Amino acid sequence: MTDTTADERTPEEQGVTGSTGIYVYGIVPGDVEAESHATGVGDPPSDVSVVRSGEIAALVSEIPVDRPLGTPDDLKAHAELLDGTAAVAPVLPLRFGAVLSDEDAVSEELLDAHRDEFEAALNELEGKAQFVVKARYDERAVLSEILEENADAARLREEIRDKPEDATRDARMMLGEIITQSIEAKRNEDTQRVVDALEDLEPMVNVRQPTHDEDAAHVAVLIELSRQGDLEDIVRSLAEEWEGRAEMDLLGPMAAYDFVMKRAPED
Amino acid sequence: MTIQPAGGGGGGGGGGTMARPNSSGLAEVIDTILDKGLVIDAFVRVSLVGIELLTIDARVVVASVDTYLRFAEAVNRLEISDNEPKGLPDLVGDITSGGAKHKTKGALEAATEKVSDFLGDVDEKRQRAPRGSKRGE
Repeated sequence: MTDTTADERTPEEQGVTGSTGIYVYGIVPGDVEAESHATGVGDPPSDVSVVRSGEIAALVSEIPVDRPLGTPDDLKAHAELLDGTAAVAPVLPLRFGAVLSDEDAVSEELLDAHRDEFEAALNELEGKAQFVVKARYDERAVLSEILEENADAARLREEIRDKPEDATRDARMMLGEIITQSIEAKRNEDTQRVVDALEDLEPMVNVRQPTHDEDAAHVAVLIELSRQGDLEDIVRSLAEEWEGRAEMDLLGPMAAYDFVMKRAPED
Repeated sequence: MTIQPAGGGGGGGGGGTMARPNSSGLAEVIDTILDKGLVIDAFVRVSLVGIELLTIDARVVVASVDTYLRFAEAVNRLEISDNEPKGLPDLVGDITSGGAKHKTKGALEAATEKVSDFLGDVDEKRQRAPRGSKRGE
């Protein structure tokens, strides 16, 4: 549908000389091979190959540059390839959407130019993977909790009770604000509870911003892959503790998106 | 290139200002790969990310009037449903399900008996009370 709108900038203007570019998913050790059934971004899905330079390599796909990326399938293909790799080998995930002009650019400008950093980072990631622990409050449960704990909220509830929205707008605004703030306080507390519970795994932790009004916790951890079973046990017991109050979710193993960054500030 | 937590220690503070639709597999992916991961130097990078991503960015809204009013209404609904007699839906279900009619009727009759017993009690007390007060006069 929107294919033609991508041509406002010509490939030349974008620094791409041919009609194809090399999409880069991530950096891996040089002994990693692409599985024959692996598919990447694009429609139809592109083949995945490996560009090697010494001890490191990049997972790539050759793609046409005449259409923009960003469909749900593109996003999933990027994540699935990296997450599948992360389960068996260290991988430095690139942010979605990185395209270089050709394979030479990948090996010279990307791999050779950052060789020491990439090798050191891959060593650090050896045997590790990222997981994301999420918890989302049950709305009825968390609202009931707040009404019990907060006298102002309870009073405002009585004030708006069975009255039309227009006539109680101020009270509703105050009530909504109290609830938003109360959930935020609970979220901070419960997020800390999750982080504390995971401490035994000796994780590297990145507390993510909430992505929903009723998020109870959103935490990414980098742990030894061999501790996955322990992680599952911890999340399961938290889920039991919070049953009826919050729903827990565990995602992973995935690539270490939350833990790779350039040392020098760059934008 | 270092392996360390991203986001400059955004340790749980400042939450509650983002609202997005319920998460799905895709939402999780979007949370992860669009604003996290290694960004390679701009001069070697050509982004082909297209227009469809703009609609994803637009999902991020600031919690404000709408959020507050939504929560208030949720509390209002919560109140109403909590006040409903718990047994009522079951009872209605029984009555409409034919086979249980007799049983239900039996239960209602039993309840009626109890009510009249209670009323009888009250009557007795009432009768006694005036007597007592009479005695006091």
